[in-house]
Amino acid sequence: MSVSAELIQEAPLGDVEVTTSDVDRVERALIDASTRLPVLVFYTSAIVWLLLSTLFGILTSFQIHSPDFLTDVPFLTWGRIRPVHLDALIYGWASMAGMGSAIWLMARLCRTTLRHPLLLISGAVFWNLGVLMGIVGILAGYNTGYEWLEFPGYSAVTLFVAYLLIMTWALIMFRYRRRGHVYITQWYLLGAFLWFPWLYASAQVMMFVFPVEGVMRGAVNWWFANNLLFLWFGSIGLGTAYYMIPKVIGRPVHSYYLATIGFWTFAVFSSWTGMQRLIDGPFPAWMITASIAAMILTIIPVATVGLNHHMTMRDHFPLMRYSPTLRFTVFGAISYTAFSIVGVIISLRSMAQATQFTEAWMGYNYMGLYAFFTMVIFGSMYYIVPRLVGREWRYASLIKLHFWGSTYGIGLMVLLLLVGGFVQGLDLNDATMPFNDTVQTILPYLRGRTLSWILLTVSHGIFAFHFGLMLLGFGRTASVPTFLNPLEGRSGGGH
Amino acid sequence: MKGFQPLFLGIFGIFGFSWLGMTVVPNLQIGSLNPQSDEEGTDIYPQPLSGMAARGAQVYAANGCFYCHSQQVRPDYGGSDLERKWGDRRSAPRDYIFEPVVFLGTMRMGPDLANVGHRPVLQEAGAATPAPSASPGAAAGASPAPAASPATGTSPAPAVAAATPATASPAPAAVAAASPGASPVASPPAANPPAGNASAAPPTMVAEPKELTDDGRPLPYTAAWHHRHLYNPRSVSEDSNMPAYRFLYEKRRIGGVAAPDAINFVGDTGNAPETGWEIVPSYDARCLVAYLMSRNQSHPLKEAKAAATTAAAPSPAKEVKK
Repeated sequence: MSVSAELIQEAPLGDVEVTTSDVDRVERALIDASTRLPVLVFYTSAIVWLLLSTLFGILTSFQIHSPDFLTDVPFLTWGRIRPVHLDALIYGWASMAGMGSAIWLMARLCRTTLRHPLLLISGAVFWNLGVLMGIVGILAGYNTGYEWLEFPGYSAVTLFVAYLLIMTWALIMFRYRRRGHVYITQWYLLGAFLWFPWLYASAQVMMFVFPVEGVMRGAVNWWFANNLLFLWFGSIGLGTAYYMIPKVIGRPVHSYYLATIGFWTFAVFSSWTGMQRLIDGPFPAWMITASIAAMILTIIPVATVGLNHHMTMRDHFPLMRYSPTLRFTVFGAISYTAFSIVGVIISLRSMAQATQFTEAWMGYNYMGLYAFFTMVIFGSMYYIVPRLVGREWRYASLIKLHFWGSTYGIGLMVLLLLVGGFVQGLDLNDATMPFNDTVQTILPYLRGRTLSWILLTVSHGIFAFHFGLMLLGFGRTASVPTFLNPLEGRSGGGH
Repeated sequence: MKGFQPLFLGIFGIFGFSWLGMTVVPNLQIGSLNPQSDEEGTDIYPQPLSGMAARGAQVYAANGCFYCHSQQVRPDYGGSDLERKWGDRRSAPRDYIFEPVVFLGTMRMGPDLANVGHRPVLQEAGAATPAPSASPGAAAGASPAPAASPATGTSPAPAVAAATPATASPAPAAVAAASPGASPVASPPAANPPAGNASAAPPTMVAEPKELTDDGRPLPYTAAWHHRHLYNPRSVSEDSNMPAYRFLYEKRRIGGVAAPDAINFVGDTGNAPETGWEIVPSYDARCLVAYLMSRNQSHPLKEAKAAATTAAAPSPAKEVKK
């Protein structure tokens, strides 16, 4: 570890541009051009899945308080569209968009043009196929019965093959990187690329191929889900934020030392979480206690990463007024801190008595998947897509609508689910309250959630439309990026 | 590449540590438990599910029941599960060793189902009425089928049972189908573990004599009640927000004798089909109910008596490994 830390410190500025020499600019343009097709394939697929997930999300939300809606259509029954919504969000949107950004970042940070694009494109094709088969499988009634792992076996195998292609590409890129430039983002990305296959394969093997006995499947299930949230989405999201924030404001990360500590503590502690979702369940107490302890310890990486970002951003917060990338990314980075703190709170035994088995956990999931990860990825897309298509975003107003729709949508949803979940939990623990009454108390919150889904639907529709314009070449031809607000005599900073 | 060995080693090492600690070691501890039995090797618990119940677990998974219903009872210090009569002891790892799919669940939008196959006994024994069931009487008074389809009951089209006519027709056929003599037939797939032994049978034994209330409606948690509940949850629990699973049932013309397992619509004229028609469960629906009736963790377990521990001490019982 110390060796790596030194290596990093040798190149304290990483890829952050302090020189704008023409050579560098040409080099970056070449790299960007080489990533165009693969990254756009990933992004486009991801956005299609996002729209699908949104459609199923709003249906899911609506049906839970209006259970008679579409109840006679077997493949649209609530218990089938709910996993489709979440799996399309996890495997379709978040994973593909995250990989798209990761691919671009890898090429940029390895400072080499993208090699073997066919590996990536076939990876994307297989991944799409895997998600599609999984979703059709769930709708047709082949849910495996484990949350986050609902896709039937044939879909899982396809996803895994797709993943191996993508990972092979990442390792090749890393092998051919230009020496001397290893940035903290690459640590996170490399971690994510290497952790995912082990995680996914061991979960599939232990759950379905050679299934472990009884409740161990529940343990593996939540070990997988939480690690997917942290080691896969967390790594990609944090790595992306570590690139975008310094890049946009044009100054290096505040402290590499903190970044190193943050990375290793993040990996060690967050990989032990998961069992806190099963507090007082049928498990040896030590497993659950270990996860709660690990969850509490994740405060260390969260604090280091948060502090680092904050210190980097210091004095530059006003730039969020102009740069869409910065606005989304900083929102996501702050959400990561909030997500982790909420995670710690609802994992404490005393709190878990009230929040266990309630919507609060859904609120927590959405904080991680959406408020943190999705927002960071939106930010990176606003940065990357113009560099791929050679045009700038067409309408600042659409970006603003997208931002506020997503912000208010997810904010409202998380608030409703956390508060509603807490109320629901207190009611459940009051044994004198008839069960149906506990459901009745949460329904108003769930109706509110449908409202938040309407906001998110509008916001995603706008984003997809805007992205479509860019894809079809209707972006602005301009030498300056699209700012959210006209620059008021500011110079520098930039996109 | 040399300088990155520590990075690679760290990435693998950390994950390997978590993998060993959170999956392999626990699996050594609780991954190969045996059923428990007494000294003579009888009174074996738990036992594998019947074929229908095992298939019912797939139906349960396919329709996402586990997103709203947990199947785990927490100890007395961890919530009010025991007070709510969701079980008479906490769940332990051994309860799940034969489960085809383990539905621990993370949400209680619906009540816990770990012991739903045992509840008729709780009721019979005079225990407090389980909280979750709105008393069946609540919906009896011909509740106007909330938001269901108040379709004009004219079309006799044998379509799917989508729009059940809301016109009042007490459907004598349905009454006949629900006569006390007939309905027990619906329950045999229920809780009969294959290796039948005397003590494993209490749910059916007790439930059999009393399946209906005095006025002919099914008692909560009997097979007939489950079918009626799945067909239209709001007919037995007025403010339930569970989706109806009418697509698991068929509407058909009664030919000669009414099917013994047709849904008992007594006291629920709003959903009953027209005269001469009946609603019968599909095979999947019967499997699902068989699965629900097999949910029973009432058998005492050595490790789950003391409230505080889930010790996984290997049972001294003789090997009855699956």
